[in-house]
Amino acid sequence: MDASGTAAFRTFGGGVKVQSLEYLKIPLKQKDTVRRLIRYMIPHRRMLLISFLLLAGGTASEIAGPLLVQHFIDNHLTERYFPLEPLLALGGFYLFLYLSSAVMNYYQSLFFQKTSLAIVREIRNDVFQSVESLGMSFFDRFNNGAIISRITNDTEQIKELYITVLAAFVQNIFFIIGVFAAMFYLSPELALWCLAVMPVLYLLIAVYHRYSSIFYAEMSEKLSGLNSRLNESIQGMPVIQQFQQERRMIDTFSRENKAHYKAWMKTMKLDGLLLRPAVDLLSIAALMAVLGFFGYQSMNGPVEIGVLYAFVNYLDRMFEPVNQIMQRLSMFQQSIVSGGRVFRLMEHEEPPPKAEPKTMKQLNGSLSFEHVSFSYDGRTSVLDDVSFSVKKGEMLAVAGPTGSGKSTIINLIERFYAPDRGTIRFDAEPLEAVPEKVLRRDVGLVLQDSFIFSGSILDNIRMYAGEADEKEVRRAAEITGADLFIQKLPDGYHHQLGERGTSLSAGEKQLLSITRTVLRKPKILILDEATASVDTESEGQIQRALESMREHMTLVVIAHRLSTIKKADTIIVLKNGSILEKGTHESLLKQKGLYEAMYSLQKMKEKADREEARRT
Amino acid sequence: MRVFLDLAWYFKQERKKYTAGILILMAVSALTLIPPYVVGIIVDAITENRVTSAFLWRWLAVLAAIGVSSYILRYIWRIFIFGASIKLARQLRDQLYRHYLNMSFGFYQRRRTGDLMAHATNDIRAVEQTAGAGVLTLVDSVTMGGFVIAAMAFLISWELTLIALIPMPLMAYLTSRYGTMLHQRFKGAQEAFSDLNNKVQESMSGIRVTKAFGMEEKDQEDFRYRSEEVVKKNEAVARVDALFDPTISLVVGSSYLLTVVFGSVYVVSGDMTIGQLTSFTVYLGLLIWPMLAFGWFFNIVERGRASYDRIRGLLKESPDVQEAEKARAAKPEGDISVSLEKAVYPGTEEGLHHVHFHVPRGSTVGIAGRTGSGKSTLLRLLMRDMDPQEGFVMVDGTRLEEYRLDALRGAGALVPQDHFLFSQTIRENLLFASPDAGEREMKIAAEAAGIHNDIQAMPDGYETFVGERGVTLSGGQKQRLSIARALLKNPEMLFIDDALSAVDAETEAHVLAGLKKARRGRTTFITSHRMSTISHADLIIVLDDGWMTEKGTHEELMQSEGWYKWMHQAQQLSGRSEVE
Repeated sequence: MDASGTAAFRTFGGGVKVQSLEYLKIPLKQKDTVRRLIRYMIPHRRMLLISFLLLAGGTASEIAGPLLVQHFIDNHLTERYFPLEPLLALGGFYLFLYLSSAVMNYYQSLFFQKTSLAIVREIRNDVFQSVESLGMSFFDRFNNGAIISRITNDTEQIKELYITVLAAFVQNIFFIIGVFAAMFYLSPELALWCLAVMPVLYLLIAVYHRYSSIFYAEMSEKLSGLNSRLNESIQGMPVIQQFQQERRMIDTFSRENKAHYKAWMKTMKLDGLLLRPAVDLLSIAALMAVLGFFGYQSMNGPVEIGVLYAFVNYLDRMFEPVNQIMQRLSMFQQSIVSGGRVFRLMEHEEPPPKAEPKTMKQLNGSLSFEHVSFSYDGRTSVLDDVSFSVKKGEMLAVAGPTGSGKSTIINLIERFYAPDRGTIRFDAEPLEAVPEKVLRRDVGLVLQDSFIFSGSILDNIRMYAGEADEKEVRRAAEITGADLFIQKLPDGYHHQLGERGTSLSAGEKQLLSITRTVLRKPKILILDEATASVDTESEGQIQRALESMREHMTLVVIAHRLSTIKKADTIIVLKNGSILEKGTHESLLKQKGLYEAMYSLQKMKEKADREEARRT
Repeated sequence: MRVFLDLAWYFKQERKKYTAGILILMAVSALTLIPPYVVGIIVDAITENRVTSAFLWRWLAVLAAIGVSSYILRYIWRIFIFGASIKLARQLRDQLYRHYLNMSFGFYQRRRTGDLMAHATNDIRAVEQTAGAGVLTLVDSVTMGGFVIAAMAFLISWELTLIALIPMPLMAYLTSRYGTMLHQRFKGAQEAFSDLNNKVQESMSGIRVTKAFGMEEKDQEDFRYRSEEVVKKNEAVARVDALFDPTISLVVGSSYLLTVVFGSVYVVSGDMTIGQLTSFTVYLGLLIWPMLAFGWFFNIVERGRASYDRIRGLLKESPDVQEAEKARAAKPEGDISVSLEKAVYPGTEEGLHHVHFHVPRGSTVGIAGRTGSGKSTLLRLLMRDMDPQEGFVMVDGTRLEEYRLDALRGAGALVPQDHFLFSQTIRENLLFASPDAGEREMKIAAEAAGIHNDIQAMPDGYETFVGERGVTLSGGQKQRLSIARALLKNPEMLFIDDALSAVDAETEAHVLAGLKKARRGRTTFITSHRMSTISHADLIIVLDDGWMTEKGTHEELMQSEGWYKWMHQAQQLSGRSEVE
């Protein structure tokens, strides 16, 4: 829709804003990403400074080693001058240097990694938190997989940036500077000559960076295309096999696989041309320069062999860091892209409906809708002028066919969305005035799709309400009747459930999620088709549970099954977003409308069930 | 090391590349030995003050020649060895993909998508590393290490060589120890990350509950806890990881010290020149890489072995449904008899029991029942996605097992429950099974499935992109698209698995009428929750918990006071409310 990277807003008549989320797929610009990455480093500046100092110390002592050998060769070995004590001191100093360099390098590397891990943890926590604070409308529209991959995989890629790339860049650049400092100390003239290597190196790096970013991007794009094709094929396997398209799928896959292979070969060849082999060639050239320099000098006068030794040694060491830096350039590029995606998501703003909370301790339990109208997209009306009210301790039932707007009523009560027109009131206060905490605590929701997470039964009922002890949990489970099946499970309340509670039946899962809500003693309990997928037996239990809960709380029940709502104080029947009928069970029966028809059907089912029971 | 034996078939296949690559690699190793030697010669010439212009140029020319030829040779062996290993990755990926396409329903029940993906990504990568970097590190550490030590021992001094090598075994020991420690901790870190992944997955799918309960803060706390665990486990890795470099530089440093101290003794005693000592230390520097390479080699090969074992294990699995010898190549056409005594999923009692019915060719069969009653299982048996333990399905008097698999599949088309579409255009999706179908045929099929008008209304029409990058189609639109896709194939047997659930009553009536016209003379099976979808069928079968409880036409079933009648009336009523 909009690919320019800016958010597009469309405003509709009702004042509802629908924002395109397309722009979230485009990462932030490199410059902005880098700025944010640096901002995350600031709180760790002390630790980073210590790491840098250790790095400097470690590198300096490592670089000093050959200087000592040079001193030894020039002042002792060539002169054949071997006083015991100074030599021992020299050897001891050499060992000390290496030891301290090892210690400093160890802590430097450890601190670097620790800091990087801490930074990534903060980015992760921040993005998770900012995502969870977005309004429900965001989750209803944005792909779940894309969110997950940004929070996990992309942040993991940022970790690589800090740990591998940053540390390697700093360390190796440090090393190169150190080596040059040592060379200048030994022989400024020769060092200047060696400095001539730098422009060549720079050119090499620039050329490599330019092409590698293109080639690597091409390769990783091909790979992700290949992987998503594979993923899609695995998921669509029944379709592929049923339609006998294996041949064609293999052909396409092989073609893409070959294209990826070619792209990969291209990066490999580029690496071969410009990475290690090229740097090694350069190092031989530098060696030739040093040898030639000393050779010519020796024709005109004496030469310090120790200096030559040190130079040869340094050259050897200087080119490895160059290799290291170049190898990480492509990784750097990928990490920046990942970071850009994460920060883009983190900065997305789509807050839940506005609230202007007053100070309010708790809800009393009455609820009313006053001429409420709502539309998700600003075009199709979902609720149209809906009014009803329910008093404390009463039970309100909402009936009606699928798509009539029943679940939307819940979305509005829960303040996931704000009504376009009209007012929702708790007691005398408009919904906007209710503080978030009070709303979440005093309004309990049981969804059609019970959500069970991996963990024990106890954890699932408590759901972070850690303060509830096992006794309270049991009492809640007894009220809802969940206790009956829980007792039969191995380990009872400590039975471990798999992802999404795969080992439980739909009815059992539903009882669990009702128990979870009841445990929290809400003032208003909302059940959204909570009995849709449970068998008759569990439904009876749930019904009994509702009976016993009525004393303590206001109930709003949405149900297909009329047996569940028969005893409601008020029943409203919705159709296409408007209220079609309204009344008690008895008054609706007298009306001889939809409700009456549904009720006689209910009786028929009971009869059919009884007969079935008799047959078996 | 065993992984090299396991991969022998590939080395044999690419023997030219590997032989040439390894020979060149060895030549490069030999060439690397010359520069330090030249350094020694020049240093000695300088000390003895006998450097001449010609002398200097001669040796510099040697160096230049070595530099240039090494550069070329290094480039070439990479093409050979890395080229071969990249090719292996490609070959294995193709092989796995083919294998996946041959596997049947049971395989996909056992294996999760993420796992199958991991085989084709991480595992292939690890095997590729073994065939590339693994070969390189082995050859390099053996030849280069051997050459360098030989050069040091024979060209300069074997005594000094031994002395210089004293600390090296310590390094080998330490690095391999670190490797083992790292392996354990790395596993822990991977697990913690996996845990974090699951946490995010659960949080995002359960976001509605979390928000309704106002549990965001607690959820974030839990996330932070797991995030912290990831940090802790990774710090454990870092503590070992940070040991590698300092250890190596310490060992190398002491080796240098030993060399200089004892080398000086030899220089003083006249057994050695300063130039020789200098080149000796350069050789010593050359030895670092083979030592490192040897450590890496074990690391790479260990991972490669594990991964290749996993891949082979997967490739060894054979499809559950096998083709009989001398199977019939003819397309199955004709009446269908189903006589299933027992058809259950392996290791369970879940499945179908005692299902018997007969369908004349050209009928429409409706299959009704609650979720989990066995409707999809019946379709699977009819398509031979699985075989029954007792009983059979016959088409034209011949059991399904006696038809060739491609003949069977050629005769059927499935519209699955979860309306699977590819991330391509609507046209490509419709033409998936029949790429050669014409424009007119495609539109007729779309019309019959009641989706043509919807498509026309989209800005890009039939070129509209489906999936994440394109428009989001509604569930009902996706279902009708997959019906159109199946209709375009014009199969002898069409299986529609509850694929009209998201379509409203009016559209459904339209689709059913379209189906009736398009399917004249051919057999269609429809499963559904909704009785209106199947009430027009020639035969209706009601399943309950894997058993067939009712069978007959709509009129017959309405006579008996069973589940069908009740459901039908119940839904009629709510249907009426929709129309009112």
